[in-house]
Amino acid sequence: MKLGIVGKGGVGKTTLSALFAQTYAARGLRVLAIDTDSNPNLAFSLGLSAQQADDVPLLPRSVVVGGGEGSLTPAQLLSTYGAVTPSQVTLLHAMRITQAGAG
Amino acid sequence: MRSILGAAIDTEADVTLVDMEAGLEHLSRSGGTLAYADVLLVIMEPSRKSILTAGRTIVLAEELGIPRVYGVGNKAQEGDKEFFEEVCAEYNVPLAGIVPADVDVVEADRRGELLAPGEGQPVRDAVVGIVDFVDHALVGVAGAPS
Repeated sequence: MKLGIVGKGGVGKTTLSALFAQTYAARGLRVLAIDTDSNPNLAFSLGLSAQQADDVPLLPRSVVVGGGEGSLTPAQLLSTYGAVTPSQVTLLHAMRITQAGAG
Repeated sequence: MRSILGAAIDTEADVTLVDMEAGLEHLSRSGGTLAYADVLLVIMEPSRKSILTAGRTIVLAEELGIPRVYGVGNKAQEGDKEFFEEVCAEYNVPLAGIVPADVDVVEADRRGELLAPGEGQPVRDAVVGIVDFVDHALVGVAGAPS
């Protein structure tokens, strides 16, 4: 199930996104949270420290599109680029993943 | 070309939450990924402008083929619940729920941290209500979390 959260700056989108993610995770579901903001703050709301948030790698477009030689499996994508947060939600930082083609 | 990220979303997660860039303009550039969102939540604050913007976002999202788009009223203080209900009806914004303003959330934001256990219970309750609303809206839809 894919849930998109939108809203203008300051309305509380990121804080609520983190709470939605944690609510699903608390129900035992595997939750992936993707921050597509050029100013990625979802990491904080999910409980990562400033240093940990800085260390979350930006998903390269080539990895998202894939299909070439030696490309990652989906599980490898998550283990390489995903950060597991205190509430068990896995965080990805991906800018403009929308250019990547079919989801 | 098959997207590995798309495959990861399908096979490695039960729920994928995408925190989109703020604002309507990013939604229209984002057609690719958002077109595959099962549910889109538009977060609003208690102002007529915010609800009007949500109304426009919903129309745009529906044009992009996103089937279930709902507004969430956030930071609701005294009288805002009625305000949200009234003005959302006016601008055709279906409401998934209303989240109260909470000092614990403000404090956690100041610290740059997670809401601590025991803090912000009214907010947590509202969030659970919205999650239940979304799950109910997805009954019978393939891929809905069980």
